Amino acid sequence: MPALFKWGGRKDASASVRPSPVAETPETLSTSKVLPRLLAALATVPSPVLMDLGPVVGGNIAFFGEQLACKIFVEDLFAEVERQAQAGTREGLGDVLLGRLDRPKGSLDGVLCWDLFDFLDKPTGQAIATRLVSLLRPGGVIYGFFGQASTELTQYTRFMVEGPNTMRLRTGPATPTKRSVILSRDLNRMFDGLAVAESVLLKNSSRETLFRKPF
Amino acid sequence: MNIGKSVIIKGDLSGSEDLTIEGQVEGKIELRQNILTIGTNAKIKAQVFAKTVIVQGEVQGNVTATERVDIRDKGSVDGDLSAPRIAIADGAHFRGSIDMQKAGAKPADAARPAEAPRPAEAGKPVAAGSPTPVAAVR
Repeated sequence: MPALFKWGGRKDASASVRPSPVAETPETLSTSKVLPRLLAALATVPSPVLMDLGPVVGGNIAFFGEQLACKIFVEDLFAEVERQAQAGTREGLGDVLLGRLDRPKGSLDGVLCWDLFDFLDKPTGQAIATRLVSLLRPGGVIYGFFGQASTELTQYTRFMVEGPNTMRLRTGPATPTKRSVILSRDLNRMFDGLAVAESVLLKNSSRETLFRKPF
Repeated sequence: MNIGKSVIIKGDLSGSEDLTIEGQVEGKIELRQNILTIGTNAKIKAQVFAKTVIVQGEVQGNVTATERVDIRDKGSVDGDLSAPRIAIADGAHFRGSIDMQKAGAKPADAARPAEAPRPAEAGKPVAAGSPTPVAAVR
């Protein structure tokens, strides 16, 4: 099983898949050039409001909550993606996810998407992106990873922030899904209204991107 | 003090000693100066206030602690958490908001790039609760 990410200190990330919620797989410690920009953007706000679209990670709560004084909303959309995939009801996924993002416009300073959009079809991805843009305050940021290789996804990745520029990645089993590839120009269109603050193409062909809403 | 798994309480539950709940509670739980443990069999639909809250079962409701909230790997919380320290184990379920500042904690500066420091927030004193016996089972 190839590693999803190959930047920084890459280790063999072959996963041993188990049906448990968090499968024990080798973890990869990676260095990020974009993460510091995200942190810098959040640091300009006295009490930033952050939404995490991934599964709750204790270390991330401690990092963003204690060290950056963020108020954090955890909406694990990946769990919903997996639930719908297992039930074979992907067609209704968009409405379900939008229902989870029912918040006042301009109420967020940051959104952590991780690699959610890899698992969404294009119409659903567009709907989610449009909603997220509306939820951001001016100056707010969206952070995500967008895979550029058209492969089948059989694992979810849990991103664990360990420091200002390091993350630990752990993978777990996923119902197989074809990755939704969004090219750079399509990415910009998808997040219309935001500017790309930083974007790095990683060795594994994933684009680590930080979008920012202009003031 | 333990509340067994066959016990069902509807209403306000308050006290001045540590408490472990394995049953069902619907309403409000208030142990402002003590440790509340929500056991693996517990199902709570309540607003929870305690010094420390340890969740090993299921909680639907907001949880406020003056010291710490600890959601263990079998724990599940749907609601808002407010405490200076919050620990969530791998495997735990959580959905809601997390606010570590309301209780008066100061954020560390380790992760922040060189910016002007935030003003320090004074710690809020814990209100002393009057000793109240645990509510009787209905």
